[in-house]
Amino acid sequence: MDQWTERLSEYIDGTLEAEERGQVEAHMSGCEACTAIASELRAIAARASTLADRSPARDLWPGIAARIAVTGESDILDLSHARTRRRFAFTVPQLAAAAIGLILFSAGGAWLMQPSPGPAPVAAASVPSPVVQAVTGSASYQHYDRAVAELSLVLEAGRARLNPSTVRILERNLRVIDAALAEAVQAVADDPASAYLQDHLANTMQRKLALMRQAADLVTTAS
Amino acid sequence: MRRPGPGVATLTGHRRIATAGSDIADVALAASGDAHAFERLYRSHVARIHSLACRMLNQDLADEVTQDIFVRAWEKLKTFRGEAQFGTWLYRLGINVILAQRATLGKQRDRYVEGDATLARLPSRPEAPGAMVDFEDALSRLPEGARQVFVLHDVEGYRHEEIAGMLGVAEGTSKSQLHRARMALRGYLDR
Repeated sequence: MDQWTERLSEYIDGTLEAEERGQVEAHMSGCEACTAIASELRAIAARASTLADRSPARDLWPGIAARIAVTGESDILDLSHARTRRRFAFTVPQLAAAAIGLILFSAGGAWLMQPSPGPAPVAAASVPSPVVQAVTGSASYQHYDRAVAELSLVLEAGRARLNPSTVRILERNLRVIDAALAEAVQAVADDPASAYLQDHLANTMQRKLALMRQAADLVTTAS
Repeated sequence: MRRPGPGVATLTGHRRIATAGSDIADVALAASGDAHAFERLYRSHVARIHSLACRMLNQDLADEVTQDIFVRAWEKLKTFRGEAQFGTWLYRLGINVILAQRATLGKQRDRYVEGDATLARLPSRPEAPGAMVDFEDALSRLPEGARQVFVLHDVEGYRHEEIAGMLGVAEGTSKSQLHRARMALRGYLDR
């Protein structure tokens, strides 16, 4: 090592002034060590420029999706279907509106209603019909309803493959969520301008879909 | 020479940004709130962003910071004007997030002028034959200042003046840290 060694990176990068460059080259003509080091430094730089990118060991998207779902700028909720990996995105107000329609008309409730008489939906009588009409005609309602319906089909098809006690627990949990959903719908119907209630309702819907996805995963795993 | 020529106003680095043609449509959709489109963008670019985070910070922080970068990108998409490729914009945003993280961790500019002691963590030559350390591992063992300058210059192709601006250090410091990193990495070329 000598005073020139410290300048070798700048030399190979071509950032030395002409005079210094000439001095380094004059030195290197008689210094095998510096010549070898310069060669290695070039190789290091070349290697660095061709490093391959590596994907993360785990899928980071679920964490991102959860976070962008609650950022204030978009209010987007990203709901994934465990089996088909289709995704459904809604705004909070859309979800709130869709929830009303869901409680009243959703085909997705079929699986839940099968063996056990859960609490009856409470919102039907109290929601003004214009709201219902607006909701059920909306694309967001149809989108959400389709997601629930598809999950229900998966669950129905795989129900026999699940342990009966697992089915009982799932049904009990879904009834609890449905009851909470019905209350949330009623609250939004009473105070449709409340952002808090809309948010609460959207979260409850998201919980329901998450549980249904979980159940669909169980069915898929048991297949 | 790989580096950008004089007069290049934006910080782009030399690395080719692999941008699928569908990025343009997905960026527009994502900017309007389409999370599906944004997921496609994530899938296209996550390897590069995650690798950047790994190299600039460390493996432990990389996952979390990668998520931070994409969340920030989601929030900032409306400000993307399309003057650069989306991948370039995302990458630059990623560097900003990483540098902010560095500041959050309290690793300020004094780390860039610390002495040679930290370089001792990486032997100047490979360890015993049984202790294989590949090039990426060796890179991760560099002290933070030298590693970040090396990544920005040799991996990403930024110029010293750009790096100095990003890191808040003198250009000479950037040059000396780069040289230290390269010298420390000799011997790990074939691994």
